[in-house]
Amino acid sequence: MSFSTMLSTMSAGMLRTFLIFALTLIGSLPLGMIVALLRKSRFAPVRGIIKAYISVMRGTPLMLQLLCWYFGPFYLFGWNIGSWRFPAIIVGFVLNYAAYFAEIYRGGIESIPTGQYEAAEVLGYTKFQTFMRIILPQVIKIIMPSVTNEVITLVKDTSLAFTLAYQEVFSLAKQISASQTSFMPFLIAGVFYFVANYVVEIVMSRVEKSMDYYK
Amino acid sequence: MIIEMKNIEKSFGGLEVLKDISFGVDSGEVVSIIGPSGSGKSTLLRCATFLETIDGGEIVYMGETAAHTDESGHAVYVSPQELRHFRKYCGLVFQQFNLFPHYSILKNLTDAPMRVQGLSRDEAEATAMDLLGKMGIADKAKAYPYQLSGGQQQRVAIARALAMKPEILFFDEPTSALDPELTGEVLKVIRQLAEEKMTMVVVTHEMPFAKAVSNRVIFMDGGVIVEQGDPKDVFDNPQEERTKQFLRVFER
Repeated sequence: MSFSTMLSTMSAGMLRTFLIFALTLIGSLPLGMIVALLRKSRFAPVRGIIKAYISVMRGTPLMLQLLCWYFGPFYLFGWNIGSWRFPAIIVGFVLNYAAYFAEIYRGGIESIPTGQYEAAEVLGYTKFQTFMRIILPQVIKIIMPSVTNEVITLVKDTSLAFTLAYQEVFSLAKQISASQTSFMPFLIAGVFYFVANYVVEIVMSRVEKSMDYYK
Repeated sequence: MIIEMKNIEKSFGGLEVLKDISFGVDSGEVVSIIGPSGSGKSTLLRCATFLETIDGGEIVYMGETAAHTDESGHAVYVSPQELRHFRKYCGLVFQQFNLFPHYSILKNLTDAPMRVQGLSRDEAEATAMDLLGKMGIADKAKAYPYQLSGGQQQRVAIARALAMKPEILFFDEPTSALDPELTGEVLKVIRQLAEEKMTMVVVTHEMPFAKAVSNRVIFMDGGVIVEQGDPKDVFDNPQEERTKQFLRVFER
């Protein structure tokens, strides 16, 4: 198999990897905010459930969680999981990353001085306005470095979809490497991950810079 | 009367901070509140501006009741929507300024009038520039809070409160977070407002300022008003032993 054939075979996997990456972010970034806010709910049972959820998500391997999401419905309810593979991957990734993002958001929200809330309250802002206009913009600036970290980890974590035999770039690299007895597929996969993260770094540092106008 | 607070009671976890305090402020009056730390001065201001809820008593703004004690002896407030109406009456200047760091100076002054009171951008900006001019910092409109000195930031905070056109402005130790050389510029602005007959209540440790600017001085200690009256009487001829003791510390 020539280098170019390898590359074109693997490019389909790259697209699938990107799909996991993008859908996970689209799902977990907003979901994490909802989780973070529920984590501070007035109702103790809600707080308890959210705490337990975060604890389980962070305390068990993502690989194990993916297996549970995929095979769970079959073992528990005897469902046919034939077309469930990709949705299971996305559910697993989104719920896992939402937990991490929630904790990052919570840290950011808690670092905003109470004086900001009080100033807004005295000026007559509603609670919603206060959060959206005063608190959230400051939180986003504070959490950016941690979010970048998490996004970079996600690029690499997409390879865990290999556990469910999903044909993303890492799975393909392993298959082609075995069948062609070549090290080249791994090298291609490595370069792919590295370049993807290089792009992430550039984009995120731009975003951070765009918020440099205040301290 | 702009504000009337009657028989205000407030405890924090069993600790009585305000014990049956009553006080009112007339239009155009400048009242200074002095007293040792922990005497309840700040809490009184925070109750008046609805940052804290009272346990008992009555808060009346412009003849309208915002909170009162019901038959069971608990303080009840008007609905949150109605409370926003009462917030229009009062402004508060904090010790720590609490400007919004992500907004320019101009936006700090225009955002609430536009978002809360529904003013147009032109109206809000005209008022804001006018106020910044009065505060002597019109050239800082495009700057961000971190680029300003503490004294300038506090003047922005005063302007931000004034932009909402409150009936009464409360100051919670407005110069306590400032370097000594910067307190003058803030006090000058407050003095200027007093000359314009702005109704104000100032919690302060600046005794010469309190004496020179206010129409009335209130000395608080241990959650009660110990003594109040004309600044000359309270400062030069205090009647209560606790007032004398407190003022003696400042003379040294």
